[in-house]
Amino acid sequence: MPYQAEISRENPTCFLFVIDQSGSMDEITETGRSKADFVADVLNKTLYTLVTSCSKADGVRNYFDVGVIAYCGSEVASGFGGALSGGIVHPISAISEHTLRIEERQKKVDDGAGGIIELKTKFPIWFDPKSIGGTPMRAALSKTRETVADWCEAHPGSYPPTVLHVTDGQSTDGAPDDVADGLRQIATKDGQALLFNLHVTTAGGLEIVFPTNETELGDEFSRLLFRMSSPLPLHLAKLAGDKGYAIADGSRGFIFNGDPQCVVDFFEIGTRPKLVADR
Amino acid sequence: MRPQSRLPLAFSIAKSDEARNEDSFHRTAKGVYALSDGASVSFDSASWARILVRRYARKPEFTREWLAAAIAEFRKLYDRDSLPWMQQASFDRGSFASLLGVRVVDAGRLIQVLSVGDSLAVLCDGDCIKATFPLSDASEFSQSPQLLCTNPAQNVFLDKMDLDYDLVADWTFRGLAQPALLCMTDALGHWLLSQRDRGRSPIGVLRKVRTPEAFARFVREERAAGHMKRDDTTLIALW
Repeated sequence: MPYQAEISRENPTCFLFVIDQSGSMDEITETGRSKADFVADVLNKTLYTLVTSCSKADGVRNYFDVGVIAYCGSEVASGFGGALSGGIVHPISAISEHTLRIEERQKKVDDGAGGIIELKTKFPIWFDPKSIGGTPMRAALSKTRETVADWCEAHPGSYPPTVLHVTDGQSTDGAPDDVADGLRQIATKDGQALLFNLHVTTAGGLEIVFPTNETELGDEFSRLLFRMSSPLPLHLAKLAGDKGYAIADGSRGFIFNGDPQCVVDFFEIGTRPKLVADR
Repeated sequence: MRPQSRLPLAFSIAKSDEARNEDSFHRTAKGVYALSDGASVSFDSASWARILVRRYARKPEFTREWLAAAIAEFRKLYDRDSLPWMQQASFDRGSFASLLGVRVVDAGRLIQVLSVGDSLAVLCDGDCIKATFPLSDASEFSQSPQLLCTNPAQNVFLDKMDLDYDLVADWTFRGLAQPALLCMTDALGHWLLSQRDRGRSPIGVLRKVRTPEAFARFVREERAAGHMKRDDTTLIALW
């Protein structure tokens, strides 16, 4: 059975976020913020959650390697700034140490006696929104494929990498499907790399979440993204089902026209490998 | 029935030589025993497990007030506001641990078992398993258990429970020719029920384990054979 490997410091897994920063990402969503702004916020929260889940009183345990690939105009580069910008993939402890800045936010929490109190919380920022130029999706996925191949070669026994690709438009540097096919064929002993695609929109209309086929998808671009997406492994399908999504045998890790909640759920579902050792 | 003044045997071994053991146990001469399995993927489960077993041994009850006091004791260990952001976030998320508490009253006339999580109590007569609590089948260990947390919001599952009924089993040594009581964390519990299901005699195997060295050897051999999950492993045995 694939996707069963326990995740440990000896056998970490890898999450790669591939983020479209093209000009159209500046369109305003129903949240009142641009797509780029909203995606950046969700990505920062996802990184925060990943770091938190690896943090103990005595430090951060390297259960995960994490990378962000950002693309726009003719540029494909690390989405991290500062000390992390020199490479794509970094151990989660390095991610925790190199933020762009720390903001202070308020959050409401249970006080343990039936009440709610507000707590000041430090919130790290790694990724700032950007939206400019075209959509070099093919080049971005080529870079991703190369990164995934290198990682799998170095971690043959690990749970395979998960790639979460977020885009709002069509590729402007050629069709990326053959590159995506190649990416999904890269494997560790525990299974093939997973590629999940999220299409964000401001258009409204029919939302298609974790479909099993192309029939409801209205254009060639959405069908292409569907074909580029991996089927959800059983444990992720169950998680998506638990969140209320209609999941069937063969559901793919693809959301078209997703609303803000879908974006949040897409990141949460995609970053939950089955087993973290030493629960 | 048996005299209850002597302490039961108790052994614990970490998942590896390099790792800190996040299980904890406590025994008193008054017949109160407790063990707790701290969940590694949380802030400081070892301290949380230690607080739970010590408090249970001192005051063997389980109420919402008891839990709130335990959480308050844990929170005093850290100055939340001075923690680096990642540790503050992990501290807020909480530390998780099971709690298995046993009270042996009147030399076994009554054995009261409390369990939250997937640590296992086993009542035996000779090599025969008479009862297990809270799980009865090896397959149940594959489900994520609900654990006690230092973040009260994670303990809401208790709100739906009758704490004096849903989390408790009452047993007795009466009528048993060769009574024994075992308490163990999940790796050993899973091993025991799996061995039973294969028609083997896990109680007979455990009965021979009388020293920490023998326990360590037994656990290492079963791990190496692929029969036992590599995890912190703890046993309290009242033979």
